Amino acid sequence: MNANLERRVAQRTTELEAANKELEAFTYSVSHDLRAPLRHVDGFSKLLVEKQQAELSPEAQEYVATIRESVLQMGTLIDDLLHLARVGRKQLDVQATGLNSLVEEVMADLKRANPDRLIEWKVETLPFVECDHALMKQVFVNLLSNAVKFTRPRNPAIIEVGATDQDGARAVFVRDNGVGFSMRYVNKLFGVFQRLHRTEDFEGTGVGLATVQRIIHKHGGRVWAEAELDMGATFYFTLGSSDDPATEKRTGSGGNT
Amino acid sequence: MIQEELQILLVEDNPKDVTLTLHALREENLANAVQVARDGEEALDFLFCRGEFAGRSFDRPPELVLLDLKLPKVNGLEVLRAVKGDPRTRAIPVVVLTSSREERDLAESYRLGVNAYIQKPVEFDAFRQAVKQLGLFWLVVNEPPPPSSFRP
Repeated sequence: MNANLERRVAQRTTELEAANKELEAFTYSVSHDLRAPLRHVDGFSKLLVEKQQAELSPEAQEYVATIRESVLQMGTLIDDLLHLARVGRKQLDVQATGLNSLVEEVMADLKRANPDRLIEWKVETLPFVECDHALMKQVFVNLLSNAVKFTRPRNPAIIEVGATDQDGARAVFVRDNGVGFSMRYVNKLFGVFQRLHRTEDFEGTGVGLATVQRIIHKHGGRVWAEAELDMGATFYFTLGSSDDPATEKRTGSGGNT
Repeated sequence: MIQEELQILLVEDNPKDVTLTLHALREENLANAVQVARDGEEALDFLFCRGEFAGRSFDRPPELVLLDLKLPKVNGLEVLRAVKGDPRTRAIPVVVLTSSREERDLAESYRLGVNAYIQKPVEFDAFRQAVKQLGLFWLVVNEPPPPSSFRP
């Protein structure tokens, strides 16, 4: 009886290892092979415009510009997907991390990348937590760059980062006064490729929040959001054991129909 | 005096990438001094002066090797391991120029002693910029290893 069980566990483990290996080979191949043709499309389109500028009508040049735009978009998509896959299989490297220093680093990058934006940053004192430094930085990169993106119509944009008690657990939040979203679609928010805004209004691949959720879940925490259309959004996350599985389910990656 | 020496060995199996890379190097007048190897075996024959390159001498190494990782027959990491593992070739600067920035490729390249690692950007302008900077840095700014560094 016991031996039988052990044999089954061993078999399952072997199967899982094989599946994992296959997945790894797949992402490896994607990262090498899928980007190459994109690079060629962009490179030769650019050379076409440079060499044949005199012969190309303005309309034709416009078409080539569109081709290059789409190529870059697909490049970003591939990078984001690979990143998501990597997060999935990465072992957590947990160490005590001051969240304020992470937020400062990300903020500095965002300020540099958006010199023309008027943004009021309000960062409270955040806790030191046990987490994977690199992955947690990714969480803030995604949440804060979303906040910057979705406050684009605001002048000034206001972005707050703070900590609050939620049902006895310490939660970190990122709040903005941006365009928000309707809570009707909140169940789609963290799904891969799910977007609540049109690309022509706000660019994006729909992978960022899925990555955030995956990282937070890997840390045993939960992530959720509150928003109102045109009234800003607040994203919360906890780390450590999730003591409210019901909420977990509500903000889970369901709704991928 | 015009430099007749070979300066760059470009190890790249994809002819489209060869075209685009040469294009970028040409803008810096660096394209004349490029030898292209189309797989890892050819690269090793060239670097180790054997096969069709038996007439070459270890005393005249390329000043820079641009190495793709995914190559037919012998892959880029194997080429890197051979080059960095042999005193006759170890001092040659090798820069990995490849599609991916998978952590295991990065880690293994550095472990083997790569001199730099560059992920080819999808955007051609960025790619061209990277190749130009590379060429300028290694062939103009950097002091190449002296002949004595290639002797065991």
